[in-house]
Amino acid sequence: MDTLVSLRNISKTYHLGKTTVPALQHVSLDVGASELVALSGPSGSGKSTLLNTCGLIDTPDEGEYTLGGESMLSRTSKELTMVRRNKIGFVFQSFNLVPVMTAYENIEYPLLLTGLHDAERKKRVDEIMNQVGLEQYQQQLPDQLSGGQRQRVAMARALVKQPMLVIADEPTANLDTQTATHIIDLMKDLSRRYGTTFLIATHDQRMTERCDQKIILVDGKINTHDMNMTRDNALDKGGNG
Amino acid sequence: MKWLLFAFKNVLRNRRRSLITIIITAIGSSAILIGGGFALFTYDGLKQGATRASGHLVVAHNEYFSGEEDSAMQYGLSNWKDIKQRMEQNEHVKWVIPRIQLSGLISNGEKTAIYMAEGVDPEGESRAREFLIHKGEWLSSISAENEDAQILLGKDLAKSMKADIGSSLTLLSTTADGALNGIDVKVRGIFSTGVPEMDKRLLYVDIPTAQALLDSEKISTLHAYLNDTDDTEIVSDKFHAQFPNNTLKNWEELAFYYVGVVNLYNRLFGVLGLIIVIIVFFSVTNTMSMVVRERTREIGTLAAMGTLPREILRNFVLEALVIGIIGSVLGMAIAGGFIVFLENAGIMMPPPPGRNVGYPLLVYFSGQLFVLTTIVLIGISVLSALLAARKGIRQPIVDALAHV
Repeated sequence: MDTLVSLRNISKTYHLGKTTVPALQHVSLDVGASELVALSGPSGSGKSTLLNTCGLIDTPDEGEYTLGGESMLSRTSKELTMVRRNKIGFVFQSFNLVPVMTAYENIEYPLLLTGLHDAERKKRVDEIMNQVGLEQYQQQLPDQLSGGQRQRVAMARALVKQPMLVIADEPTANLDTQTATHIIDLMKDLSRRYGTTFLIATHDQRMTERCDQKIILVDGKINTHDMNMTRDNALDKGGNG
Repeated sequence: MKWLLFAFKNVLRNRRRSLITIIITAIGSSAILIGGGFALFTYDGLKQGATRASGHLVVAHNEYFSGEEDSAMQYGLSNWKDIKQRMEQNEHVKWVIPRIQLSGLISNGEKTAIYMAEGVDPEGESRAREFLIHKGEWLSSISAENEDAQILLGKDLAKSMKADIGSSLTLLSTTADGALNGIDVKVRGIFSTGVPEMDKRLLYVDIPTAQALLDSEKISTLHAYLNDTDDTEIVSDKFHAQFPNNTLKNWEELAFYYVGVVNLYNRLFGVLGLIIVIIVFFSVTNTMSMVVRERTREIGTLAAMGTLPREILRNFVLEALVIGIIGSVLGMAIAGGFIVFLENAGIMMPPPPGRNVGYPLLVYFSGQLFVLTTIVLIGISVLSALLAARKGIRQPIVDALAHV
């Protein structure tokens, strides 16, 4: 399987006043296309920093990052924005839907940025809304939806542009068990359907069990890296440098 | 269009705050329009008054406005009939009226006072100017044989001379040769200029009486009244070429009061407008700053999804644009309603300083002012949004997403 995300010796240190906090220490990791990767670890272990780095919303102090074979760290801010626009989707723990936009408009938003013409945009939004089972809720505002429905809207928003990579930060944290299970199934299904790689920060055992790779971070280093839990075509082992 | 729709929805997000900002913008807009409209009404009234008083163009002897006469009518126009005829040939000229300025003493036999007089062509003046006649009538063009000359007395001068209609008075003045001359006159009417100081001194006589008193065939000035004030410059250029040996002044050069008021009001309303613009600026800036702060996480989300900073900025600018447009349109409606109300209410303003006659309070509707005010207020709203949102979009995405 082709490597989609490749991190080499990624380090990041935060400076809080006179204190320095090493968030990531020489992390190396390879993730293949259409894999589901679970990132877990205690609070402050560096999960979010690793996700932010992979999602190009934070830059490491050192190391190498290639996405789809292209180096990312030497790019300008505008170029990184364009990569995020076209190749990366985000699912947030608190859904982060725009409250004044309907479910349809929230999902349509990333396509408006790409400049896709009206008919194609509508086709794609309708299709993904059907996939996530929200066709009945097109005109509902986020606050008129349940937590599970909101997360499905967020999922659809992340996937509607058919990105290479989806960054999901605790996507099931605010959901009840039944809804969480449904969301996990949905992610698996969409990953298979669109060939999208999911990088998921999670504490949810059900989630980690159903991912292709399980990475546990401790103190900014990869502590455990379980491969091939659900697939035969595992990637080379990553490590903490 | 979608972006404008989102902007509109965002404006409705916090309705009370948006409404307050829109109301402040509307009040600012209407205040500028009403203040500016009142200034325009005043300018127009004064302009009409000034052009009625002096005409649009005044032709005089070369030294008339700059020199000091050694004797009466030293700088008068001797060939005035010829000049008048040539001036009247210009297609833009409606009337040309001669005037004589003189001064001297007026007496009722018991009491003597100083007067300032204007020798006028009764028929021409009655066409060109409006006189507030309190008693009696305006001067007649045709005087009966062997009848005393007629005068029109200022209200307070008449009071001072204890004169009424038909009273006989004597005018004294120095002739062009320096001799003292007197002439008996009868009061035909009593008028008011609206300026108490003038009413104490001013009187009108006809041109022949003034010439007889001064013992001169000359007149002081020729006043051209045009069909359209806007033609003043064109006609002025022609007259300059036609009468190179005479001095030519346009109405604005002689309307000191008009120029003074325009300068004063421009500064007054300019400062008022600036204060209003500053209030609107801070109001919209405050609103947009709160909006940006409240939506920090949303900014982070949109940026994470691949929205360029300028696209996020555009969204906020569109919101400010919506606020600015609604506020300006509402301001126009308020100002329009107020203008209509004033036209029907008949409210009078108190007399200005130095005058004893008030005037109706009216506000002009000026399309140009409406457009300018709208552009300025919308521009200010947009600028406020740019300044407020700039800080928000500069924040690192990670920090914005972590904002609580």
